Amino acid sequence: MTTIRNLSHLPRLAWRQLARHRWRSALTLLGIASGVFLLATVESARQSLARATAAAAADSTLVVYQAQRFCPSTSRLPEHYLGPISRLPGVRDVTPVLIVVNHCGASLDVVAFRGVDADAWRTYLGTQATIEGGSFDEWLTQSDGALVGAHLARSRGLKPGDRFEAAGVIVTVSGILDSPNSQDNSVAYTHLPFLQQASGTGLGTVTQFNVRADPETATPTEVAREIDALFSSDQIRTNTSAEAAFFADTAADMIELVGFTRWLALAAVVAVAGLIANTMLLVVRGRLRESALLHTLGFSGGQIGGIVLFEGLLLGVLGGLLGIAAAAVLLAWQAPTFGSEGVVMAVALAPGDILRVLAAATALAIAASLYPALLASRRCAAAALRL
Amino acid sequence: MNASIQCENLSKSYQKGGQTITPLEALNLHVAAGEFLALMGPSGSGKTTLLNLIAALDHPSSGSIRVGEHDIGSFSRAEAAAWRARSVGIIFQLYHLVPVLSAWENVELPLLAGSRPRHERRKRVDSALRLVGLTDRAHHRPTEMSGGQEQRVAIARAIVADPALIVADEPTGDLDRESADSILDLLASVSAEFGKTVVMVTHDARAAARADRTLHLEKGRLVEATDKA
Ligand SMILES: Nc1ncnc2c1ncn2[C@@H]1O[C@H](COP(=O)(O)OP(=O)(O)OP(=O)(O)O)[C@@H](O)[C@H]1O
Ligand SMILES: [Mg+2]
Repeated sequence: MTTIRNLSHLPRLAWRQLARHRWRSALTLLGIASGVFLLATVESARQSLARATAAAAADSTLVVYQAQRFCPSTSRLPEHYLGPISRLPGVRDVTPVLIVVNHCGASLDVVAFRGVDADAWRTYLGTQATIEGGSFDEWLTQSDGALVGAHLARSRGLKPGDRFEAAGVIVTVSGILDSPNSQDNSVAYTHLPFLQQASGTGLGTVTQFNVRADPETATPTEVAREIDALFSSDQIRTNTSAEAAFFADTAADMIELVGFTRWLALAAVVAVAGLIANTMLLVVRGRLRESALLHTLGFSGGQIGGIVLFEGLLLGVLGGLLGIAAAAVLLAWQAPTFGSEGVVMAVALAPGDILRVLAAATALAIAASLYPALLASRRCAAAALRL
Repeated sequence: MNASIQCENLSKSYQKGGQTITPLEALNLHVAAGEFLALMGPSGSGKTTLLNLIAALDHPSSGSIRVGEHDIGSFSRAEAAAWRARSVGIIFQLYHLVPVLSAWENVELPLLAGSRPRHERRKRVDSALRLVGLTDRAHHRPTEMSGGQEQRVAIARAIVADPALIVADEPTGDLDRESADSILDLLASVSAEFGKTVVMVTHDARAAARADRTLHLEKGRLVEATDKA
């Protein structure tokens, strides 16, 4: 108890010390903030991808794609497959989807249109998503209408009533869609027949079927096998997989690309740790006499080390907050969408990412200040009347 | 608290480049609780060395040193620091105030080393500053004060935790006569009115004359005792 109370004054003393060298502290903070900014940006990209690919993992949704095709612009399935698939046992509902993207390969600033049957879509997804600005009914009456995901709308600065063009398709914004499924927020939903015509795909052709299995009757794996068996002797064969696995598959490029950035994150971490350690070492060296004075006045070695530790901690937390704020501002302003082969993800900083990055900055700051703190607590033993 | 000082056969030596220096040798000293003692002696005679031992800032090489009921020579580093925070006020020749802190905050420092609640700290710091006559300077930085004022802040800092023992190493060595007198007045009253034991090293016979007793050190030994007439 006493020890805790003895320590409770240290943050105030630490703050005083930082405030004493305003410019040095500010420059150090700037360095730490830059490192944390990099860490936060990379982390948000990594986590956004993880979220996009893991979102559907729990549910029993299957995706039917043309066999051996890996891009929406090349997967072509006859829309009439809908009937046979729907009639299979264990299938609850089927939604044909046409996907049109402006970039098929890995790219930033991807716009993906998903043409869907309005009624099917309403039952498929409509309950969990909300429409902010405009309405579902408005969309129903607008043949060229699009429900634009909130993230896509933000990155393109779109509002209801606007018209925009991507991949040669011109649509009118009927509403802004806010869905718990991050995929939905990065795409624009249009009417299937409209998109089939506007994209030049032609009526009767879709990219994929989204199938929901009825877990009471059959497992998703069984249903997937049955679907592919159904069309195995047709000219256009299918490949059915769980949506999560499908995402993981299509997102392989992105995972590789984003996976590489872990090294950037590591470099940022090392730079931040080095900066804090260096600053605190200089601080300790420059304050030997003052530490000795405090020890002479009765401060314990632990308390003197504690002041140094708190200073490092303050630098880490403040720099961390600054860096995270900068990353949040950048991501909100740019609202980048990152996509590959029709899988689109919004790069956004989630509360969990913020906490994780802040925790990392805090832990780094403590780790980097440990040795300087130890040094301060030992060196102050030179306390004496001959200071 | 009783802060009589009892040194028996107290020696301190240092090893320096294969050579042994013994600034204090088999010293016997008794200082009564509440006494104001002046220590004089030529440079290098061991005065500061003795003060360091009395304030538990250093360990004796041999012999014993007790302050009140504590055998301070056997303290660990942490015990010594905790004891200093409670029981010793220290005054340096060059004040040694922390430049970034105000007078008030400098005086508060010894209380932060211990575990005193905020309201008690405020009361103690205010009354210590009042005692040294610097209430109106509470929020000034050391750089904004004269040497004499700085040393008065240092005295407030030395007495703020209400220690039974105060050690001062040439507290007036850097001051003009007028400032020195006000410092000596304070030290004398701290001893006479508050019953604190004060051990002051000085080169100035006028300063020593303010003490109850003056001892002379020479080459690590006490040579003569002058009692106040
Ligand atoms: N840490 C140390 N290591 C080695 N020798 C030391 C140490 N501290 C003091 N001495 C030596 O001990 C002797 C006594 O020093 P001390 O500082 O006690 O003298 P003093 O009486 O205070 O002198 P002054 O009046 O100049 O302050 C000196 O010869 C000094 O060099
Ligand atoms: Mg000396």
